[in-house]
Amino acid sequence: MELLGDIGVLLLAQAEQAEDEGGSFLVSPGLGLMIWTLILFLLTMWVLAKFAFPPIQRALEKRANAIRENIEASERQRKEADELLEEYRQRLREAREQADDIIARSRKASEAAVAEATSDGRAKREELVAAARKDIETETRRSLEQIRREVADLTVLATEKVTRKTLDEADQRRLVDEALSEVDFSALAGNGAEERR
Amino acid sequence: MSRLQAMSNKAKVLLGLGLYLGITIVLLLVAGNAGKNDAFQPQNEFKLDPWIDINVAGIDLSVNKAVLYLLLASVLTIVTMVWIARRMSTDRPNRVQMAIEVGYDLTRNNITGGNMSPAMAARWFPFIAALFFFIFFSNMIGFLPLPVNTEHKVDVFGLELPSFALYAATANLSIPLVLTLVVWFSYHVEGIRAKGFFKYLASWLPPGLEDMNPLAKAFIFVIEAISQFARLISLSVRLFANILAGHLLLLFMGGGLAVLLGIAALGVLTFPLAFFFFILEVGLIATLQAFIFAILTAIYLGGATAESH
Repeated sequence: MELLGDIGVLLLAQAEQAEDEGGSFLVSPGLGLMIWTLILFLLTMWVLAKFAFPPIQRALEKRANAIRENIEASERQRKEADELLEEYRQRLREAREQADDIIARSRKASEAAVAEATSDGRAKREELVAAARKDIETETRRSLEQIRREVADLTVLATEKVTRKTLDEADQRRLVDEALSEVDFSALAGNGAEERR
Repeated sequence: MSRLQAMSNKAKVLLGLGLYLGITIVLLLVAGNAGKNDAFQPQNEFKLDPWIDINVAGIDLSVNKAVLYLLLASVLTIVTMVWIARRMSTDRPNRVQMAIEVGYDLTRNNITGGNMSPAMAARWFPFIAALFFFIFFSNMIGFLPLPVNTEHKVDVFGLELPSFALYAATANLSIPLVLTLVVWFSYHVEGIRAKGFFKYLASWLPPGLEDMNPLAKAFIFVIEAISQFARLISLSVRLFANILAGHLLLLFMGGGLAVLLGIAALGVLTFPLAFFFFILEVGLIATLQAFIFAILTAIYLGGATAESH
């Protein structure tokens, strides 16, 4: 505290001393210095206004423009990229759809081919079977006819041998019919049915 | 070393402070008090001795320390600004350019643009920006030690050279005062041009006094008129006193107080504070005072021309 008091007294004393020395120069403005200041400040201002501020302003504006353009360009590019991406996605989707379509169509075609082949085969087989059956039936009928004829001849022969007389037309017919009705052709017919299956 | 590392931060700080005070006390005991020093006059650090006598029509235009500093400030402002302006890079600015750009942007958009109409801002921007940069550079070179102290000369091989010293042109009342006068006349002229003489004077009255009796109105007008003149003092003295006080503080803390009082131990105590104040002055006060001067100029100009005061 005492120290601070000392400093205060000292400064006061020196200020007074300065006062005695011819005015407190610290706070008295000097006209000469003021004129110097005015000249130098106005010169500085003129030079700055002419050679410093306009280029700085231009450069700042240029940079601001460049930044704005960059932002716009990047936005544009992003938009383009988005569009491109969307287009590719669309194309991919279409390609997938087409692929699916192709697969489905080929599957259908193959199924149809298989079905056609199957049905063709079946028809041919049935045709063959039918032809075979017809052949068999024809053959069977012919065999039956032949058997029947032989049975009739044998019957007539046997009867003539037994009775020692020649049979007339009516007797012959009755005898043949009787003999035939006794002969069982069902086995033949049954064989024929089994074969058909 | 390991013991020091093992200590807590609090203990380290306490140890540091103890050493700091201990050295002071030891030095106080050893060197003692040499008594007051009357030979050393701190205010003479700011005294202006004429170096080159110039006298024009009875006006003393002698070149002295303040004029040299003004010249340095002017040259530094012009060279820096023009140099930066000429090599402005639009894509990759360096740090100096960035700093200047920040200053430019501050003066253009914040100080000027924020306080007056766009048309007025365009007209007054060079003036306000020049004020800002001129005062800023002037303050800043005040913290560079330059060989300008002719009060205390150094003898180098028989040559009497001035010793290094800190000085600031703005620590001189004349310089802020003349800048203030320019500002003061400028804003009055702008006000009168915008509104006409009597309307401008009437605009000094704060709004809301329309129904007041004329005598009271006159009284308030006188107060407002005084406040206009007080601006002359407040604007100039604010800058001058801040810079002067800062330099006095640096002078005293940097050893001036110890020399003045003749107590060497005091130097140990004050010297670290000098660093603290130096950083404060360079980092804050120098820029802040330039900013305040410029923004007050803009506010005065804007206020003088504003429609409703």
